[in-house]
Amino acid sequence: MYDIWLALNILFELFLGYLPLVAAIVVAWLVLMAIAFGRGRPGWRRGLGPALMLALLVAIAAFLAIPSLTKSSLSEMGYWVDWANLIAIALGFGGVALALAWPLFATLRRRFR
Amino acid sequence: MTDPHSRRHTQQAFDPDRRRLLFGATVLPLAAGAGLALAPRRASAALKTSARIVIAGSGLGGIATANRLSRELDGAKITIVDRKEMHNYQPGYTLVATGIWPVEKVVDRNADLHPSGIEWVREMVAEFDPDGNAVVTDSGRRIEYDFLVVATGLHLDYAQIEGMDVDAIGSNGLASVYPSHLAAQATWQAMDAFRAKGGEALMTLPATPLKCAGAPLKMTFMLVDRLREAGTRSASRVEFHSALGNVFSVERINQDVLERWEALDVPVTFNSKLVAIDIGARRASFTSPEGERTELGYDFIHVVPPMRAPDVVKNSPLPWQEGGFAAGGWLEVDKETLRHRRYPNVFGLGDINGTPRGKTAATVKKSAPIVTRNLVDVIAGKEPAERFDGYTSCPLLLREGSALLVEFDYEGRLTPSLPMIDPLQDSYFAWLMKYRLLKPAYIAVAKGRV
Ligand SMILES: Cc1cc2nc3c(=O)[nH]c(=O)nc-3n(C[C@H](O)[C@H](O)[C@H](O)COP(=O)(O)OP(=O)(O)OC[C@H]3O[C@@H](n4cnc5c(N)ncnc54)[C@H](O)[C@@H]3O)c2cc1C
Repeated sequence: MYDIWLALNILFELFLGYLPLVAAIVVAWLVLMAIAFGRGRPGWRRGLGPALMLALLVAIAAFLAIPSLTKSSLSEMGYWVDWANLIAIALGFGGVALALAWPLFATLRRRFR
Repeated sequence: MTDPHSRRHTQQAFDPDRRRLLFGATVLPLAAGAGLALAPRRASAALKTSARIVIAGSGLGGIATANRLSRELDGAKITIVDRKEMHNYQPGYTLVATGIWPVEKVVDRNADLHPSGIEWVREMVAEFDPDGNAVVTDSGRRIEYDFLVVATGLHLDYAQIEGMDVDAIGSNGLASVYPSHLAAQATWQAMDAFRAKGGEALMTLPATPLKCAGAPLKMTFMLVDRLREAGTRSASRVEFHSALGNVFSVERINQDVLERWEALDVPVTFNSKLVAIDIGARRASFTSPEGERTELGYDFIHVVPPMRAPDVVKNSPLPWQEGGFAAGGWLEVDKETLRHRRYPNVFGLGDINGTPRGKTAATVKKSAPIVTRNLVDVIAGKEPAERFDGYTSCPLLLREGSALLVEFDYEGRLTPSLPMIDPLQDSYFAWLMKYRLLKPAYIAVAKGRV
């Protein structure tokens, strides 16, 4: 329990440090959602495939780039805990990309009545 | 009082480091939810009291306690005494001193971390009068208390090294990571200049208790790595002088470090204590326990000073009167409750405590909640219920990009907080903790949340 609480607090402090970026992403997401729901019927199902593809690409790019962006390298992955953390962080990036890309692709593939 | 959050945002909004932006994206989903849960609030069952509590020292321990007490107590008069306005993230000094972080990352403001509703006396305690339940500041002001928390940190006793001049750190190959953020920065200048050519390096360790006893080891590992990067390792000799019979008090870590140094060709001379230095001539003198004196030349030296309690504690009735902690003037607290053994309305927190091992921010992380709970118990007329096991932690930098995450208790038992962490395994995760995650954790500790 304590360690989950600690991890949440670390995330919260990081969040405070990156607030302008966080705000920009939230605003971008809201705008994309508004556009998606604005006109016609968003193609959520048809937009999901390309959005997932993009999210996967972002996650892969993050996986490859994060070690060097944190002054380390893939060759420093010592054991499974390192890999698990790197994968979790990369998936975090992928998740953000998915959140932005899905309404975008849903808009691009929407239907007009 | 300024809102700590809003100030931090403005500071970081203009940070040009794009890595930060990238990394920030990972924290979005969880942090939004966490934000609501973590908003500061008074504990619902805050104890009503009119107790006067003085906290001596506004470092990590003092601030963490002030934040916690101001939530746990309703009506208490809490006073922090400390002149220092700047708050330094000392665990980041080793990153600054080895060229990994810019110095700005270890500089914050105490005002941004203090809780609202407390009194901050911007003076130093000049005298503790525990028999009269008062402290006297250096302006002569007498502040009476019902309860006292001593969190003054420790004193770096460079004066014990003849010829040492803290102001000269950074020049003539003189390095020392400990005294300040600026000394850490100057240490990197000295290391950077040294690695360009290589030569003789002397790394030192005194015989006293140390804050972050891993720091001298980290500096050694990182120096070797910096020399290797610069291509001057083979032109260099890095030698470690320990005033003790080991380099780390936890036997398994000690063994592991010595094996690594053997592989890295870092010879260790035990029972060799730095006693004098001629900065201009770049010569250092060491003595053995038998009093034999050896003088060595160097191109680079990392000086780790002997450490002890500040004079104001050492010369008061508060330190241990006998036993191993008496010589250093360390605060006489019960190692489990952290309550003073002779003055029951006094508690100690952080580096000042005369307890085995445990002079790290991680120690404060685990012990600040215990001191707070126990103090609240005592205010409520009960016996202290919480017990501290001496938790200490130290991410030991091995080279740029890799570290060990070492955690242990009073007994020197390894106590990883997550069962899957292998404390002796070179690890990117341990590195990432040190490089990116432990400062946010530290701030959360200071705010009294973890
Ligand atoms: C180089 C270095 C590396 C470190 N690395 C790590 C690490 O990797 N991990 C880790 O967990 N910890 C690390 N630490 C240790 C950690 O920073 C300390 O253990 C922690 O800051 C202790 O907190 P404290 O509140 O006891 O003391 P401090 O944070 O030092 O604060 C003491 C405060 O008391 C004040 N004070 C002193 N005298 C008086 C007086 N007479 N009256 C009023 N106020 C007074 C001072 O001004 C200061 O503000 C490191 C420390 C250093 C220097």
